[in-house]
Amino acid sequence: MTTTASSHRQIAPPALEMTNVRKVYPMGDDEVVALDHATLTLGSDEIVALLGPSGSGKTTLCSIAGGLLTPTAGSVVVGGQDITAYNTKRLAKFRQETVGFVFQSVNLVPFLTARENLLVVNELGRRTGKQQARSRADQLLEELGLSDRRDNLPSQLSGGQRQRVAIGRALMNEPELVLFDEPTSALDTHLGEQVMQLIRSEMKSRGTAAVVVTHDERIVHYTDRTVRITDGVLHA
Amino acid sequence: MQGCPHAEDPSESRTGLTLMFLALKEMRRAAVRFGLLMASIGLLVFLILFQQTLQSGLITSFVGAIRNQSAPILVYSVDGRRNLQGSVVTPDLQNQIESVPGIAQAGKIGQGTFSVTAGGKLTSTAIIGYEAESLGSPTTLVSGRLARSKGEAVALASSAGDGFALGDTVTVEPGGLALKVVGQAAQIGYQASPTLFTTYPTFEQAVHAANPDARAPLPAVIAVSPVPGITDTGLAARINRSVPDADALTRAQAVASTPGVDQVQQSFRIIFLLFGLVVPLVSGLFFLIVTLQKSSALTLLRAIGAPSSVLVRSLLLQVALVLVVGIGMGIALYAPLASQTIGSIPLSFQTGAVVLWSVLLFGLGLLSALVAVRRVLHIDPIEATTGAGLGR
Repeated sequence: MTTTASSHRQIAPPALEMTNVRKVYPMGDDEVVALDHATLTLGSDEIVALLGPSGSGKTTLCSIAGGLLTPTAGSVVVGGQDITAYNTKRLAKFRQETVGFVFQSVNLVPFLTARENLLVVNELGRRTGKQQARSRADQLLEELGLSDRRDNLPSQLSGGQRQRVAIGRALMNEPELVLFDEPTSALDTHLGEQVMQLIRSEMKSRGTAAVVVTHDERIVHYTDRTVRITDGVLHA
Repeated sequence: MQGCPHAEDPSESRTGLTLMFLALKEMRRAAVRFGLLMASIGLLVFLILFQQTLQSGLITSFVGAIRNQSAPILVYSVDGRRNLQGSVVTPDLQNQIESVPGIAQAGKIGQGTFSVTAGGKLTSTAIIGYEAESLGSPTTLVSGRLARSKGEAVALASSAGDGFALGDTVTVEPGGLALKVVGQAAQIGYQASPTLFTTYPTFEQAVHAANPDARAPLPAVIAVSPVPGITDTGLAARINRSVPDADALTRAQAVASTPGVDQVQQSFRIIFLLFGLVVPLVSGLFFLIVTLQKSSALTLLRAIGAPSSVLVRSLLLQVALVLVVGIGMGIALYAPLASQTIGSIPLSFQTGAVVLWSVLLFGLGLLSALVAVRRVLHIDPIEATTGAGLGR
């Protein structure tokens, strides 16, 4: 497995290549530059912490990398796919199949059980048959220590358990890149550390790249590299 | 997995499965909420159908005798104001009517309300006498035969339990004229009373029995049929042009313009309009509230790649299921009640009304969901990064 992943990584394109990306929002007669000529490349199994204060543009960068926003200028290539000029429909398909998200607060569908929250990804993207999808969901939940919670609704789970289900959901479509937006902000220090350890081990065991958006300096211990962002400008 | 392209795009086939997955899972998890909505719609549909049947039964008990008799055209005197009880056709007017070209056959119809002893009880009974069998006899015979001789009558079938059963003899009071029930016909009531159809001579006998001093009774209307090539409407119009004192109406017109019928229909129309608005409003508001409540989940689904169309179709599938089950429940409640009798008003299962209301309410219910659909279409997946949803 390691050998396969290793040889795969040798031929795999970078997980993310953002080149001179700008995101500008019109504000009356003026404009607000949320991201200013950002250039960032992630290796295929690299975990990068994107560190910056509130309003620095880190969520904007993450959203552009994940196809939730389109850049005003520059190019974005994820897993070899140039998504810069994708329309809404193609971006939705890209999000189904190529990236995984763990958001800060909105993470699970409340009327689906933990297992179904993972299965819905397969329903949307349907890469595999139902049986395979169920096996994969069960395997992910087991890895995340949630086997006995698979039939629980989100309301029946603790904050840490919910975040772990969200990680499972983000991995369900075997993404090229997983984007974590403040994944520990709603958790206490201990739970936050547990979640970050889990994120690292899950990403590394799969050879999947990840961007972890945070303003918490402690997160950087769990990542391969730290990129800082201030006022929309990246600093390596 | 990485960079592995799909051999084909299965998005279309998976769309249906995904929307079924989402729609049914949510309904299962919120069974009480959706069940209550279905029950509410079911009760409203039941009320609509029941009122529809009640209206039909009410009108039939008032003018069934006109609707279900054989004459295609009834000619009233203008002064009668389209009312059998108020219309009197004099011999002169009868001659003028019968001389209009295009009439194949004409015959007198008389009507009166009499006190009749039936089943040991005295009741007010409408007696309608016809001169020619093809011009005024009941068309909805359910047992026995038509009255052909003096002293015979066909009775309203739903009055059988009140002494008007086949073979019973009823007596016109005072005078003691005995009338034997030789047949029963459905939905031939007049003025919500027990009703007897007799030959014209029997009707004349009844008038004389009740009032020996009365002169020969005048007919209430002249029933006519057109010669081949002339329509009922055409002949009625011709009579009205030719005879100023005559008011010729086709059978359907006579039913609709009988005093009171239009007022009853108008009252029910208002009730139906209100119900027709309430059902889609209830379902529309319900789905709008549900959509607002689950806006975060919908935003998340959009963020992880669910197309708007899948979410919209999932919503519409839920609306359709709720409406179908709700309408089904309403029909199931209505069906057994539709065969009952309320007082003297017999009810009947109205297949046409069931189909019409089912289609109408289903369509309006779907339309009412458009507000919720609009909200779904306005979801921006970027809101998942801010924790915002439609509710904010």
